[in-house]
Amino acid sequence: MSLPESRHLAQRLLNYEAVAGTNSEPTESAAFRVCERLRQPLTTLAGVAGFRSLLSRALTLARAEAPSLSAVQVAADGSLKGLDELASQTDKGQARDGGAILIAQLLGLLLTFIGDGLTLRLVQDVWPEAAFDGRVFEKERKA
Amino acid sequence: MSTADKVKINKLPTGVPGLDEILGGGIPEFSFNIIAGAPGSGKTTLAHQIVFANATPERPALYFTILGEPAIKMLRYQQQYTFFDQAKLNNAVRFINLSQVVLEKDLDAVLEEITKEVEKASPGVVVVDSFRTVVRKALGGTTEVELQSFIQRLALLLTSWQATTFLVGEYVEGEIRDNPVFTVSDGLLWLYQASERSSIVRKLQIVKLRGQASVPGLHTFRITHAGLQAFSRTLGLAGLVRKMPSTRRLSIGIPELDKMLGGGIPEGDSVLVAGASGTGKSVLATQFIAEGIRQGDPGIVVVFEERPQEYAERASSFGLDLKTPRNEKKLEILYLRPLDLSVDETMHEILDAVQKIGAKRLVIDSLAGFEMALAPGFRADFRESLYRMITALTGVGVTILSTVEVNESFTEFPFSTYSISFLTDDIVRLRYVCIDGQLRKIMVVIKMRGGNHSKDIREYEITSKGVVIIGERLTDYQGLITGIPERLNRSGNNEERSHKAKAKSKS
Repeated sequence: MSLPESRHLAQRLLNYEAVAGTNSEPTESAAFRVCERLRQPLTTLAGVAGFRSLLSRALTLARAEAPSLSAVQVAADGSLKGLDELASQTDKGQARDGGAILIAQLLGLLLTFIGDGLTLRLVQDVWPEAAFDGRVFEKERKA
Repeated sequence: MSTADKVKINKLPTGVPGLDEILGGGIPEFSFNIIAGAPGSGKTTLAHQIVFANATPERPALYFTILGEPAIKMLRYQQQYTFFDQAKLNNAVRFINLSQVVLEKDLDAVLEEITKEVEKASPGVVVVDSFRTVVRKALGGTTEVELQSFIQRLALLLTSWQATTFLVGEYVEGEIRDNPVFTVSDGLLWLYQASERSSIVRKLQIVKLRGQASVPGLHTFRITHAGLQAFSRTLGLAGLVRKMPSTRRLSIGIPELDKMLGGGIPEGDSVLVAGASGTGKSVLATQFIAEGIRQGDPGIVVVFEERPQEYAERASSFGLDLKTPRNEKKLEILYLRPLDLSVDETMHEILDAVQKIGAKRLVIDSLAGFEMALAPGFRADFRESLYRMITALTGVGVTILSTVEVNESFTEFPFSTYSISFLTDDIVRLRYVCIDGQLRKIMVVIKMRGGNHSKDIREYEITSKGVVIIGERLTDYQGLITGIPERLNRSGNNEERSHKAKAKSKS
C-alpha cells in the first residue's frame, strides 16, 4: 500500500498530464508521460542505474496491488516498456489504476528516501507550470 | 611590487565555524582544491557545507557525484544537517550524476560532460565526489601522462570559468608524492579520524594552500547536527591585539592576602593556587571572582566538579552573592564535563564566554578537573593548549586564577603535580600543617613575576566569611612547609630572633 500523500500527488500529476495532453489520450499514456518527465531529473540526480533501480522497485511494489502491471518492464535506459500494451489487454479503468499505483509507488519511494520537501521541490521543477505546494501533503494528512 | 599592484584574491566562506580562520580567511576564489580523507572522515559533509554557504541561483554550485555514495542517499542524510537548505536544491545547488559516463566512457568524455554542464550553468562552485573514482577508473586504460593531462585540462576549464573547485577523494597520505592531482591542486585539506582508547578524535590539516597563509598543524573538529565545526590551534586568538601591560592591581577579596601579594594581583597575570583537598582553593577562587564583580569586573568561573547552581549556593554560604551577577550577565559559571571533547573545543567554549560578557577575571577550578574532563587522546595536548589560551587571554588583560590540587607530602613541598609553573606568573600555596595536635592551614606566596611579595607564612582559616588570614606570620615554628613543624625553643637566641622577626614584620 503506498502512502496516501504519494497517491494524492500521483493523481494530481496524472490529471495534469491528462489535461496537458490531448483529451482523447487514455490515462495510461499520462502515467507513461509522468514517468518520462520524472526520468530526466532523476537520472541527472541519481544516474541511469539509480533511476532504473528506483523505478524497478516501484514497479515491484505496484504489481502487488495491480497484477496487470506484470507485463510492464523497466528498460536499460530507465524508460517503461509495456504500459501502452497494458491498455489493450485490460480494461481502461484497470490500466489507469495500474499507472496511478506505479507513479504513487515511485513518488512514495522518493518521499521515503528524501522526504516531502525535496520530493515536492523535484516535482515542482519538472512541472513548473503546475501549482504545487506543501498543502498537497497537508490536505491528505488532515483527511 | 606594491600592495596596490597585487591581484586581490577573494576568499569564499566555508560555512564551517572556525575553518575560515584556519584557512587564513577562507577558500581562495577560483582555486582548485582537494578534500582528502578516509571513509567517514567528513569529506562529503564539508563539501556540502561549502556548497550551501556559497551557492546562489546566479552562481550555482554543481555537485558531480561519481560511483560513490548514491545521490538519493546522500540527499537523505545530508538534509539532516541544519546547513542544508532545501530551497537551494536544483536551483542554486545542482546534483549531477556522472557514474555512467565514468563507467562506460573515457576521460575525454568525462571532461566533455563536465564542460557541458559548467558552460550551461556558469557555476561559482564545482564539486566532484569522488574524484578518486575517476582516477581509479582512468588508470585501468590510461597512461599517467594522459591522466595528468586530464587533470590539468579540468583545472584549466574550471578556473577559466571562474569556478572554485573541490575534488573529494579517499586518499592515503603516501599518495601525495606520486599522484598528479596533488601537484595541480592549489589547496589540500586533509581530514583525519582516529580512535584513542574509547574516544574518537577528528582532526584536519591544511596540507597546502597557495596564495595565503593558513594556520599550520592539526586542528580538531567535530561533526554535529550543524555539520563540521573546526577549532583552530590558535583558538581564534591570533588576531587579538595585545594590551599594554597594566599597572593595576586586582584585589583577591582578602585584604591580608592582597598585602602578601604586594598590593593585589597584577592585572593580566595568571595565578596558580595550589593545595591539597579541603585547603580552600575553591573558596579563595570564589572570593577573587566575587570581589571582581563588586569592583565592576565581569567574570567567568569554569567548574568541573560541581554544577553552577551548587557552586553559586556554596558561595552564598560564605556571604558571596553570585546569583545576582549571573542574572545580570556579569558572571557566567561554565560547567564542563565533556569527557570526549577536545581540549581546543573546550577552550573555545571558555573563550566564547569570556568574549560574550567581556570578562576581566577568569577562574579555572580546577586544572585537574579540566584535564579529567577531556578525552584521553587529548590529554597529551592539554598543557600546550592551556598555555596558548592563558598566554592569549592574559595578553589582552584577562586575569586568570587557576586552582590545582596537589598531594600533600611531608617530605617535599610541590607546587603542582604538573610542570605548569611556566603557565603562571604568580603562585599561592596552601597547605596543612600539624601544630599543637591540630591540623591547621598555612599559606605562602611562592612567586610573583610582577615584583616583590611577602615571604611570610601565614595561618588562615575557612570561616563563614570564606578564607580569613589569622595572626601574624608564624615565627614560633621551624619547618612549617614540611607540614610537621617544630616549635622553637623560645629561650635565649631563639626568643631574640623571634622578637627581631616580629619587629621586622610590623615595620
